Amino acid sequence: MNLYIKTYRHLINPSPMIDGKEYLTSVYRSLGIDYPKFFKMDNLSKLGFLASELIFKDDPSRFVPREDLAVIGFNRSASLEADTAYQATIQDNKNYFPSPAAFVYTLPNIVTGEIAIRNKFYGETSFYISEQFDAEQIFRTVNHAFQDKKTRSVLAAWIESFDGTQEVFMMLVETETSEIPFSIKQINKIMNN
Amino acid sequence: MDELILKLKGEIIEVLNLEDLQPEDIADDAPLFGEGLGLDSIDALELIVLLEKNYGIKLTDPAQGREIFQSIRVLADYIQANRKK
Repeated sequence: MNLYIKTYRHLINPSPMIDGKEYLTSVYRSLGIDYPKFFKMDNLSKLGFLASELIFKDDPSRFVPREDLAVIGFNRSASLEADTAYQATIQDNKNYFPSPAAFVYTLPNIVTGEIAIRNKFYGETSFYISEQFDAEQIFRTVNHAFQDKKTRSVLAAWIESFDGTQEVFMMLVETETSEIPFSIKQINKIMNN
Repeated sequence: MDELILKLKGEIIEVLNLEDLQPEDIADDAPLFGEGLGLDSIDALELIVLLEKNYGIKLTDPAQGREIFQSIRVLADYIQANRKK
């Protein structure tokens, strides 16, 4: 099956000196969005959310429910950043107050759910962990998603937020012909640009 | 009581990450859930943690939470009457 990258976005926090939360909030503000739930999300979900906003903000048919669109995420550090934040709330026996709001983000696939909820995507959602960015794995996994009879679009993203790194590379892959073919070479090219 | 209400609004904004709100945006009698602040079930759990952490109040009956979290004023009244911290 021939697949194409309809559009993509690549966001990177430009400096480890910039506080991750501040960086993400500044991108959110620049988009002029009104979605208070954003502030409750962990950084991983915020990254994925912002990239998806950039991809879909000008789509005239946005928010029309779609069952043919899958959301697939990939990264290296899973939800370790959120795990650490939650751990901090249960570390001290004398100050033991587990935070429910922190706990709900202690799974990396929550970001795919946040994007699906926001955009009314009712297709498959999944999340994969690998040692490093792996274009071949992304290519293979996205191709597999198209093997059912339902999926016509896949929103695929490498989303990493841990230890000073904040990066999201998100692409909308479709069966409909467009300028950029979906290939391992193209995925690497865009990622390394 | 007014002082407690103001403090409570600040705590709620902080703990629930209501980033775009200021204490003065929250009416004392507005519902916290549903049409008011639009809080959800995870927020309710966070409020229960806040009560225990900041005021030493431990809620064990979920139905009790429904009563207490009606509005900031109702919550402040409950804290005033039951606080251990």
